[in-house]
Amino acid sequence: MSNTKNWIEKRMKLGWIMLIIGVTICIVGITSEIKITNRPFDLRIITGLGILFMGIGIGQIVRYRAATKDGVIAKRIVIEEQDERSVLIRAKAGNRAYWVSMGLIYILLMWISFASNGRLVYPDENILWYFLALAIVLPFGVYLFSIIHDERSS
Amino acid sequence: MKNILEELRNKRGLTQQELADQVEVSRQTIISLENGRYNPSILLAFRLAHLFQMKIEDIFVFIPEEK
Repeated sequence: MSNTKNWIEKRMKLGWIMLIIGVTICIVGITSEIKITNRPFDLRIITGLGILFMGIGIGQIVRYRAATKDGVIAKRIVIEEQDERSVLIRAKAGNRAYWVSMGLIYILLMWISFASNGRLVYPDENILWYFLALAIVLPFGVYLFSIIHDERSS
Repeated sequence: MKNILEELRNKRGLTQQELADQVEVSRQTIISLENGRYNPSILLAFRLAHLFQMKIEDIFVFIPEEK
């Protein structure tokens, strides 16, 4: 039981750390937006990053809060997370997503390399934005699809 | 690899969830094991063997692939 308790406490601690980091980054971002006028880039990107950290932290705290009060729930959560089949499925999905991500980044790298030689046109900002968005969304989609597929088939 | 896990579980009068709790895996893993869709790690195989007080090879039967 102490292992379970340690696991939950670690997760809760991580959640709080993420939340504190998120709040700090948000404060820095908002203060910078107000104070710094001559800025080379939009400082809302910092606030956005802070919001992301806050979201992850809150999610973590909400998920494990019930487990800190109820030993049975805690044990079940830990078992679900450490379940060898689930770990294997997640690892496989992560591996597939990684290779898709690598493929997309490689294509972009080749494109830029050929463009620098004058053998291809430089991608304009819009194409670049969509391509980079695809490089984030597609691996994540592959990851989710892979998990759903393997959960059903194995 | 075939196994007699479902048979052993039924003999003991355990539900899939109860067995899962005892060997510290999810219920879904027990379902997959019983259906023969998943082969356990050596650690899980030992836990199951210990629980049913049997040898691993008596629970899990290795069948070489046909050529």
